[in-house]
Amino acid sequence: MRNAQTRAFGAALLGLTSALLLSASAMPADAAGKKIAASWKTFQEERWKTDDAAIKKVIEAAGDTYISADAQGSAAKQASDIEALIAQKVDVILVVAYDSDAILPSIKAANDAGVKMIAYDVQFEDPNSLYITFDNIGVGRLMAQEVLKAKPAGNYAFIKGDKGDPNATFLFSGITEVLKPAMDAGKIKNVCETFTDGWKPDNAQKNMEQCLTKQNNKVDAVVSENDGMASGVVAALKAQGMDGQVPVSGQDGDLAAINRVALGTQTVSIWKDSRVLGKAAAEAAIAIADGKKIADLPGVAKFNKGKKGVEMNSILLPPDPITKNNLGDVIDTGWISKDKACAGVKPGTVKGCG
Amino acid sequence: MASVADAKPSPMMAQESPVQRFFRATEIDTRLLGMIGALILIWLGFQVVGQWLTGDGVFLTPRNLWNLSVQTSAIAIMSTGMVLIIVMRHIDLSVGSMLSFIGVVTGVAQAYWLAPTLGSDHPVIWIIAVVIALALGAALGAFNGFLVAYAGIPSFIVTLGGLIVYNGAAWWVIRGETVAPMDSRFELIGGTPRAAWIGATASWALGAVACLAILVGILSNRAARARFRFPQRPIWAELFLGIVGCALSLGAVFVVNSYAWPPKVAEAYANEHNIQIPPEGLNFSHGFAIPVLIALGVGIVMTFIATRTRFGRYVYAIGGNPEAAELAGVNTRKITLLMFMLMGMLVAISACITAGRLDAASNSLGQFDELYVIAATVIGGTSLAGGVGTIYGAMLGALVMQSLQSGMTLLNFDSAVKDVIVGSVLVFAVWIDQLYRRRKT
Repeated sequence: MRNAQTRAFGAALLGLTSALLLSASAMPADAAGKKIAASWKTFQEERWKTDDAAIKKVIEAAGDTYISADAQGSAAKQASDIEALIAQKVDVILVVAYDSDAILPSIKAANDAGVKMIAYDVQFEDPNSLYITFDNIGVGRLMAQEVLKAKPAGNYAFIKGDKGDPNATFLFSGITEVLKPAMDAGKIKNVCETFTDGWKPDNAQKNMEQCLTKQNNKVDAVVSENDGMASGVVAALKAQGMDGQVPVSGQDGDLAAINRVALGTQTVSIWKDSRVLGKAAAEAAIAIADGKKIADLPGVAKFNKGKKGVEMNSILLPPDPITKNNLGDVIDTGWISKDKACAGVKPGTVKGCG
Repeated sequence: MASVADAKPSPMMAQESPVQRFFRATEIDTRLLGMIGALILIWLGFQVVGQWLTGDGVFLTPRNLWNLSVQTSAIAIMSTGMVLIIVMRHIDLSVGSMLSFIGVVTGVAQAYWLAPTLGSDHPVIWIIAVVIALALGAALGAFNGFLVAYAGIPSFIVTLGGLIVYNGAAWWVIRGETVAPMDSRFELIGGTPRAAWIGATASWALGAVACLAILVGILSNRAARARFRFPQRPIWAELFLGIVGCALSLGAVFVVNSYAWPPKVAEAYANEHNIQIPPEGLNFSHGFAIPVLIALGVGIVMTFIATRTRFGRYVYAIGGNPEAAELAGVNTRKITLLMFMLMGMLVAISACITAGRLDAASNSLGQFDELYVIAATVIGGTSLAGGVGTIYGAMLGALVMQSLQSGMTLLNFDSAVKDVIVGSVLVFAVWIDQLYRRRKT
């Protein structure tokens, strides 16, 4: 696992694409002309547009039709979106569920109509569907590992995501899994642990300020569950002159966060390149539309760590940690320009910034 | 106490209890007093419970109170405008999204446009950024106001639409990215870097000015009453008000000055200025933070606008009875448009504070702020029926809300419990207010 994490991004991308290209190239001649749809929970967030673009590109390149629906942050709208998509006789629907339970009746309706469903990034527990995502428990593990490397002992603060999002809990279970031995040995103390309403950076900033106040600044490391909240954490540390001295984690590969990694105020941003996820999902969708069995897709494994423990076929992609050491690789993928990544960095201090 | 005779005797006075006489003589708003009482109870409660749970109460430390003052600023500023909007029987649901939109536009302007063209840390960047924010706030607010006043669409609908539109617009500007860092001077507006703390001397000076202003206010009030032959407050009551006012302002200064610079910040400062660090450590005071001063300034200006200008009186007149105001020749449409424009500018100020404080702008900033602003305003005694509400009440309401939030975070409350409590307090506060009003009439 460790080797897998430290390998170059290029290799990861290459391996993944070639595996999936294989399935794509094995398509029969009547492949074109299928209809593949995506039902998004909202386009208000950070990343979904990037995913949308990546999926569209792959599907249209294969000669299939792509339909996209935005549920605008409403479970009810999403249900009617899916209804409409079924009525349009699409072959496969990728779903980013707004509510993983409320979506189930829609999934059943789709199954009954013979439409294949893919749970994209957000799990809904249906044994007939494919679940494709980055390994979220793995993201938590990676965060904890990087912070632990920087600070093997001391007082840890945990800034968790929104309490209503299952990912916040998945992440935390990965985090605690890694830190548990050190915690049991008394080397690491959990001094603050809070959920952050709406994953909002300004809420994370307030929570971190309260944590520092309570601890009288005796905080040695902060595990923040994403980059937006890490920006709030770093601002709170900065007010105490502690930024850059306390390791801080994050995820998403936010441009601002990559810059913080270069500046040294954030230790790691776990990057789940949504373009890679979108591409992988689109290719799986094309294969399924062409009649391939879900269980026979490359990279499929069983997954049953959801709330209800339903066993599903899943594809879990490995995320990559961005640290000072591999910053150059991220710049090479074109995700961020060197100017943005390295803004304000003293020349010669960070490899990859020059 | 002989000077009670200063007040015109009335047959009622004979039956008054000393407490009633005290309130009538000092003319203190008992609802204000009730709110301050509630605030003190909340503060003491958190301190005591903290002490009991952890053996070390931190709520009433200078550091936490200082944090609280900064954390309250942005909501408090918006609540001063929301009071007047609600007084006019309107509502503005779009303030949160508008904050987010203005925040990201200002952030993008600095980081992607001004910094590359002028060179980063150019001294005019922050000025241009703030001007852009204010202009945008005024424009968006005026547009809201236009639709409400001239197109006749209910404000609830206009601003509900605005909530969705500005939310989308903010996303559209940066596609969900976080823009960082902000200009180093712009950041001062948020109060995070050490240069945004005005220090002990300046804070004492401000406290002294505030104290002086209170005394001058009392004296000029006496002079005005004498001129118009109004009954005067008794001398003891004037003295009481002056002393309490001064004690409060100087007490606040004492608290913020008791919060010393964090050791790491002081160390960095000493290294930069080649100061030898004495063995007992350096001791610099925080003093007030810039966002708090902005909030206090806005509070004073808005109180002045509400109570001392024609515009303010029209706002209350319209709220009291829109038809009567219209018939009396008040241009209600113009006033409505101006009021929404003012609200937009207040949102812009809060946007600068929020983005500066975080040293980043993202489209999630300000989300749900409309709820907190309206809640603060309502807790502060503003009636949704219109016509009634005070600026200081709303600002205190914001402080109450933030105190609950930070206090519960300090005690590691589960965030679900936090939501339940904050929501309940809102409803409870309004219920108490209703009881009070009913008893009074």
